[in-house]
Amino acid sequence: MNINATLIAQAIVMIVFVAICWRYIYPPILSVMKEREKRISDGLEAAKKADDSLEEAKLAFDKELNQAKTEAAEILDKANARASQIVSDAASKAETEAEKILTAASTTIENETNKAKEELRQQMSDIIIDTTQKILGDEISKEKHEEILKKAAEEL
Amino acid sequence: MASELTTESYISHHLTNLTCGKTAEGWTCNPYKVDQMGFWAFHVDSLFWSIGLGALFVFVFRKAISKNSDASVAPSGMQNFVEMSIEFVEDNVQSLFGSVKNTLIAPLALTVFVWILLMNLMDLVPVDFLPVLAGHVAYAIAGDAVEWIKGPESLYFKVVPTTDPNITLGMAFGIFILTIYYSITVKGLKAFVAELTLHPFGKYMIPINFVLEMVNFIAKPISLGLRLFGNLYAGEMIFILIALMLFFSSIPIGVLGFGLHLVWALFHILIVALQAFIFMALTIAYLAMAHETEEH
Repeated sequence: MNINATLIAQAIVMIVFVAICWRYIYPPILSVMKEREKRISDGLEAAKKADDSLEEAKLAFDKELNQAKTEAAEILDKANARASQIVSDAASKAETEAEKILTAASTTIENETNKAKEELRQQMSDIIIDTTQKILGDEISKEKHEEILKKAAEEL
Repeated sequence: MASELTTESYISHHLTNLTCGKTAEGWTCNPYKVDQMGFWAFHVDSLFWSIGLGALFVFVFRKAISKNSDASVAPSGMQNFVEMSIEFVEDNVQSLFGSVKNTLIAPLALTVFVWILLMNLMDLVPVDFLPVLAGHVAYAIAGDAVEWIKGPESLYFKVVPTTDPNITLGMAFGIFILTIYYSITVKGLKAFVAELTLHPFGKYMIPINFVLEMVNFIAKPISLGLRLFGNLYAGEMIFILIALMLFFSSIPIGVLGFGLHLVWALFHILIVALQAFIFMALTIAYLAMAHETEEH
């Protein structure tokens, strides 16, 4: 436990180790640690930025989607309106056509009826005249009794 | 010494260094001639462990560098430990040293801290293990050729360098030199001398001021070295006393000794780390004082 030259030797050894640490150990480790620290903080910042841009993209996407949806709804509405327009147009057209056909048919029927009636009347008067001629002989002729026949035909 | 093993001889055996020095007949490590060696003697065991553990520190930290040279790879294993200790030291230097830029302080603090921690940790190795091992190795190599190695147990071999005041005071001395160096280069010689002579009583009491300030100035490194030495020496002493309990060759006392050893070893881990930290913190503080330029 005496104090001796060990003290000086230890002081020299310490200087050597401190010098080694000072020159060759501490600075390289510290610089790498600083660099890594910077990398990590850069990485975190980049991650935050990416997060922000993702959020932005999401917002833009939502906006676009909503717009597309409203547009689609508009188009659908328009199409619906147009379709109902076409249907109602077609319906009214069909109605008028049907009416037209109906009127045409009824006029034709009336004409036919009139024609038939006229024919019938003609035949009737012919038959009556024929029969009357047969009964009365030649006293009656069509020409003589034109007026009477006409009256009778009208009464029929 | 095995032939006349007593409590006293056991203790003194554990507290004596393997000393080599120059005597009238030349260099020898004979423990019986320590008195003739004078100042120029070396505690070979203390220096061996001190240099060995310092080399271990350098080796481990150098290895970590070769691993961590790429900053893009996450650190792992030993490298984490290395970076953690550097961060720890850097924090302490930042808090005690503030804005002063001196690239030597942090490496110095790191070296001092890790080195002293390693040296203190040697205290946790069972007290007889390494000395007996060293004794057997020395006896096997040198055998009877060297007259003072009489048997495997005759070799003095102290394992904990920090229980040697030469080691702790040697480190404190190195720091003391650095303190003086920075005091002179940073403050200037004039301001440094003024600090030592013009306080606390003003310029008409320079001799008294000088004596008072000198005591204050020299007490710093001595207390720094002796604090570490005292704590570790006491710890080692208690380990030796606990180990002595086995001499009574009674099972209950042996079991008690085992328990006490465990308790003291656990408690001693705290002292080991704490003393290393205190030495480092005071080193930084003393050097910070050397950089302080304002009057106080």
